[in-house]
Amino acid sequence: MKEKKSIIKMLTGSREASLVIVLIVLCALVSLRSPSFLSLQSIADMLMNNTIIMIMALGMLCVLLIGGIDISIASTLGFTGMTVGMLLKYHVVENTFLLFLIAIGMGTLCGALVGLAISRGKVAPIIATMGFMYIFRGLAYMVSNSEWAGADALGSFKDFAQIKVAGFSIVVWIMVFCYILFFIVMKWTKFGRTIYAVGSNREAAQISGINVANVELRVYAVMGALAGLCGALSVSIYASAQPNMQYAKEMDVIAACVIGGVSMSGGRGSVGGALLGALVLAVIAKALPLVGIDALAQNTVKGIIILAVIILNVITQRMMNKQNLERREL
Amino acid sequence: MAGKSGRTIAHVPEKSVKKTLLCWESMLVVLFIFINIFGQGISPNYQASNVLREMPRYLAEMFLMLPMAYLLVMGEIDISVGATVCLSATVACMVCNTGVPFIVVVFTALAVGTACGLLNGIILTKFTELPPMIVTLGTQIVFRGIAEITLGSGGSVSLQHTEGFRAISGRVGGLVPYVFFVLVIFAVIFTVVLAKTTFGRSMYAIGTNRQAAYYSGVPVQKYRLIVYTVMGTMAGLCALFLTAYLYGANTTTGKPLVIKKGVFTAEEKGSRRPMSFHEPLPL
Amino acid sequence: MSEYILELKGITKIFPGVKALNNVSFQLKKGEVHALMGENGAGKSTFIKVITGVHKAEEGEMFLNGEKVDFKGPKDAQAAGIAAVYQHPTSYPDLSVAENIFMGHEIKKNGIMQWKQMNEEADKLLAQLDADFKSTAEMGTLSVAQQQMVEIAKALSTNARIIILDEPTAALTNNESEKLYRIVDKLREEEVSIIFISHRFEDMYRLATRVTVFRDSQYIGTYDVDGITNADLIKAMVGREIKDLFPKPEVQIGAELLKIEGLSRTGFYKDVTFSVHAGEIVGLTGLVGAGRTEVVESVCGITRANAGKVLLEGKEIHVKKPADAMNLGIILLPEDRQRTGLILSWGLGRNVTLPTMGKYARMGFTDDKKEREVSKDLLESVDTKAVTIFDPASSLSGGNQQKVVVAKALGQKMKVVIMDEPTKGVDVGAKAEIYQIMGDLAKQGYGIILISSEMPEILGMSDRVVVMCNGKVTGELKRGEATQEKILELAMEKSKREEEGR
Repeated sequence: MKEKKSIIKMLTGSREASLVIVLIVLCALVSLRSPSFLSLQSIADMLMNNTIIMIMALGMLCVLLIGGIDISIASTLGFTGMTVGMLLKYHVVENTFLLFLIAIGMGTLCGALVGLAISRGKVAPIIATMGFMYIFRGLAYMVSNSEWAGADALGSFKDFAQIKVAGFSIVVWIMVFCYILFFIVMKWTKFGRTIYAVGSNREAAQISGINVANVELRVYAVMGALAGLCGALSVSIYASAQPNMQYAKEMDVIAACVIGGVSMSGGRGSVGGALLGALVLAVIAKALPLVGIDALAQNTVKGIIILAVIILNVITQRMMNKQNLERREL
Repeated sequence: MAGKSGRTIAHVPEKSVKKTLLCWESMLVVLFIFINIFGQGISPNYQASNVLREMPRYLAEMFLMLPMAYLLVMGEIDISVGATVCLSATVACMVCNTGVPFIVVVFTALAVGTACGLLNGIILTKFTELPPMIVTLGTQIVFRGIAEITLGSGGSVSLQHTEGFRAISGRVGGLVPYVFFVLVIFAVIFTVVLAKTTFGRSMYAIGTNRQAAYYSGVPVQKYRLIVYTVMGTMAGLCALFLTAYLYGANTTTGKPLVIKKGVFTAEEKGSRRPMSFHEPLPL
Repeated sequence: MSEYILELKGITKIFPGVKALNNVSFQLKKGEVHALMGENGAGKSTFIKVITGVHKAEEGEMFLNGEKVDFKGPKDAQAAGIAAVYQHPTSYPDLSVAENIFMGHEIKKNGIMQWKQMNEEADKLLAQLDADFKSTAEMGTLSVAQQQMVEIAKALSTNARIIILDEPTAALTNNESEKLYRIVDKLREEEVSIIFISHRFEDMYRLATRVTVFRDSQYIGTYDVDGITNADLIKAMVGREIKDLFPKPEVQIGAELLKIEGLSRTGFYKDVTFSVHAGEIVGLTGLVGAGRTEVVESVCGITRANAGKVLLEGKEIHVKKPADAMNLGIILLPEDRQRTGLILSWGLGRNVTLPTMGKYARMGFTDDKKEREVSKDLLESVDTKAVTIFDPASSLSGGNQQKVVVAKALGQKMKVVIMDEPTKGVDVGAKAEIYQIMGDLAKQGYGIILISSEMPEILGMSDRVVVMCNGKVTGELKRGEATQEKILELAMEKSKREEEGR
């Protein structure tokens, strides 16, 4: 009896568990309408198409955890991706590995700049990153010089994303690797726990000797690095580099995190939650055409589902609170 | 009940011209003038008349900044305004093309905008736990989605009966567009309400310490609902003037407005007056 | 080896514009419990921060075990075995207890956190303190008393030899305080030296052997607790004599103003009934968590009750939000001045007129001049120590902030004023002034509900004492018959009965 109770409690008690249920129900419903949905191929495609969002959700998780926000990431991605494209087009660098390093390095630099403005300049994160959003996107246009890099210009770089290991694209494996890395870092290293500490109680963190400004700087740099990585990845995946690539995708990333239970005010959220949030979004995006919803209506349905998920979450939370209160003896 | 120790507390404010001149708003006015002079200096093509020609569009967008300043002062945000503009512009164009009187079109645009704002407001005041950023992100997708459905596969609509819109896009003396005067009227109203009324004071109270404001009897949720709704109405107004300028609507109408919400206004949260009101001052 | 484990000489700390500490000295013996007392703003907290390395003193020397030390930051002090438990628990509400305890000195192997080991260690420490919760519990779900216990465990986990407790009992109820006393006793047996700051005399008498008093950033003296009287100590702290701490006026009690009848809210309180008459001060007491604040919050429309009635002057009222309550003449002065009472960054004047600004406005337009005059009068009437009405509320001490909160209620004709812990964190001098105001209000015919955990205050000020326990009213005592023992018995009745029943 006691065990049973604790399982129910576990399922309703944690955001992650209830998301797993949502995910399973979603998948079950969709596969009823369209059995091909759960095939390996279909899942592999879905993951590959959402790798960018899923990887960036990790960085956004850290940023939200310390109580910040970063809306410049899609621009960072555009800037680094465009640079990679141009380097390839003009045959400056053709080594895939080196290109990835350059992209990550540039991303880190961009992120560090943002971090400096926020941690040292004390600019509100939303304002600072809004400014950098325009700056980085502008740089992307400057780098592109009104050109774009198509598949023919990208040579062997575009083949990278086509490499398959155990049925999944290598891109997906990179994403999985990132998740494992972050899971370990966030749970078992001092840096990870420091992030939670800063988000949970900034003042206390300061008193216990944590250099809060440094943590902020590093978190935004990590976010930038991931955005840079995604810049290179998206050039490889979509075999093209345009200055406006992944425009406004930062909102999807934030939405993924929030659906995954990451608090906008900091301190709360987990790697698992970010993963599940991103997966829910991915499944919704993939499922809508499969269940026969007109392409035109997909955005509407997606928006309604996002709203429904967050509102439903509030309602269940309230019901749980009420139940807990009723159980309280007076 | 008089003061027991006879201590008196001063209650006359210090007035300082220097302070007034050095405030953030005055700086922006200086910046504006400086940019104009600078622009004229480096390019002979940069002329006040050119700026004026392009102006209706920017002026229309400024309708959004007025209520957005209120939201930011309250510590809120509405990401969905761009989508609201898109949806009301779309619906207004559709309605206009059926040949109804122009006044019906105007009311449709305003009604659609108001409805969108009201929806945001209702969700946010019924589920106060939800962050405005996420809710309006969700409604943004929905509003734009509905506009996409309405527009159909073509993704755009052109006006067939342009008389009404042509009328509102006219210019006084062939130079200053009507929209400018409408904007000035609204800017004055919004500024005065924020600076001089209890409603405006409540905005600051809510933004600085929502709990304390609530305990002191400020109807926080009611005011939030009002401001979100007005935000929608103003988006409808913006849509009307944008349509008059563009003679149609498409899926990207209002897209850059998603995040363009008066960068300057945001810094002002909880302090004095919103910034944006100084921008329509150039003439 | 010196007689003192910690000695500070001639410490001066200057903040821009003010001397926060002026040539202060202090000596702490090994295994001693040393009280540090003084009014708010006397420099106690700054002094603690100098010891713990958060602030660096401009002048003066510090000796640890007779050796001169110079702390560059909090980490140095921690390494030297000094730990502080601050006034507001500086914990991380979203993290587990074990994480809170080991924050900053985690047990690691090759850079990887050893959770299992840390949880075990934390449980050991908690067992040592007789804690009733586990190391894996989430910090935010614990009560203030439990959080404080975690902070003490944290201090112990660093092997601290000197532990500083900054107002540890301010947020605790009497029996929670008793538990804290026992912990301190235990620490003393283990030869840990303790400095504690408190405004409560009970704390000092119960625990300390010596007491040091600060006033106006200066060192006044160190006394043996056995050898000093209450009055002398107050005089040392305030610099003047306070004749009557509880100036309770004799008031003719009038008609019934507010009656609460069978009010219930699921999970918080049940079947609460009591009333307030004009000119009467009703003390509402009980342990923290007994549901006192929750009841008055429902009366004022901050939360909703599920059942029961509230009557004002015999008529049933339906209050949905605080504004409704204020229109009817009921105002709540909340416990948490910083979070719910005041807008700290605003000027005093604006704070005072916030609830009533609609009254001075014409068609919604504010009348700044009139507001300034009104707020000036109100602030003077409660004798606020401020220079102008434009001073930000954050610049005032706790006691003066509380006066501003009271002034907010006076801008309109109220019938019932509910004060929730009005003297929490307020120093002796300001306390007396707040009691004075309370008495004056009663004289003017206000009905007052005073919520407090401080026994002397309840006994000293109330005409009638309503005791709550675990969400229910367990008893009502008249002024003459209320004693500390009777109140305590009622406040703990239920839990005792429960224990017996088991």
